[in-house]
Amino acid sequence: MKVTIEDVVLPSDQCEEIVKAGESGRVILGPGLRKEIDGVFIVKAGVLKKRSPNTYWVESYQKRYVPSRSENVIGVVVQKAGDIFRVDIGGSCTASLSYLSFEGATKKNRPAVKIGDVVYGKMLNASKDMEPELVCVDSDGKKNYMGVLEDGFMFKCSLNLIRKILNPKCPLIASLKNEWPFEMAAGMNGRIWIKANSMRETIAVGNAILGSEYASNEEIKSMCNNIASILAGHNS
Amino acid sequence: MSNNNKKPQLPKSVLEMKFMKKTKDRIEREIENTQGHDSLYSNIITSEMRSATGNYISEPSFIYCEDLLEGRLSFKGMNPEIERLMELKNQQNKQPSGEMDKDISDEILAKKMKAFNARKRQNITPSKYSVVKKKK
Repeated sequence: MKVTIEDVVLPSDQCEEIVKAGESGRVILGPGLRKEIDGVFIVKAGVLKKRSPNTYWVESYQKRYVPSRSENVIGVVVQKAGDIFRVDIGGSCTASLSYLSFEGATKKNRPAVKIGDVVYGKMLNASKDMEPELVCVDSDGKKNYMGVLEDGFMFKCSLNLIRKILNPKCPLIASLKNEWPFEMAAGMNGRIWIKANSMRETIAVGNAILGSEYASNEEIKSMCNNIASILAGHNS
Repeated sequence: MSNNNKKPQLPKSVLEMKFMKKTKDRIEREIENTQGHDSLYSNIITSEMRSATGNYISEPSFIYCEDLLEGRLSFKGMNPEIERLMELKNQQNKQPSGEMDKDISDEILAKKMKAFNARKRQNITPSKYSVVKKKK
């Protein structure tokens, strides 16, 4: 079936607009779109989105993480195997994390990473046929946001929720950031790690994030106000 | 003659000599390289393959489609290290959009230039060279 931007689309649908754009210039096909010999096909069920000037993708509900390059993810160390750690990132297989890819790590000076630790890293390598590879340093050898996440609380959610709260237009973080001190890490693999000064505050942040999945911007704002006032009442 | 352009070559009879073995190998390798891979793969590479640079770039990640924030955040002094990094990143993002620092504002500059140009025009008497020629 022929579809246009912002339509609900199903696999095997085709979009003529993308083909037309492809004739005149470069087009970036995001997740859910595939170029075949006779046109551009949709391969996921969802909503077809466009970002000017030339990026198209399908916004679909998904809980299973498919590793892809240079995404930031949260993983749990499950095994130490000689030179590498095996890290569960929620994909079809574990990712490997070299002990040398931490800031300041050398062969003699190994990083203090234990089994069960939560790490925030970047996907270095993710292909269909190979084990994904994770690193905890950037190209300058600095840790730069990444590394082991101490204490705190980790929970899972859908991949859409991560993208929703990290969107600059989403009011969730803007309305929480001035209420009480907290820290968070959101991995593109559908995991969120949060840390606050008390258990009550941690739970409040977690509930605010999970509650905003199907809420509109106004609802998120009022929910955050609500949570903040309840928390303020308990603290005083 | 085409031979004039090429560098001088050793005669075959000299190359056949025992002590010239290394040079002979080198020359053979050079010839192989110059003939290139084009002829080597000519039966595999088609003209379609040469011109097949499509306009479609496949991108399996959402992070390039949407404009997302950095996933690691800290607020109200929970983790000063992260907050410092966030601050640095914010500054970097702001700089290109912001206007450059000026000692003199645009309005003052415009006024001064107008006055300056007016003065300049008064001083110079129009000559025959400054008159714009008409097109034929």
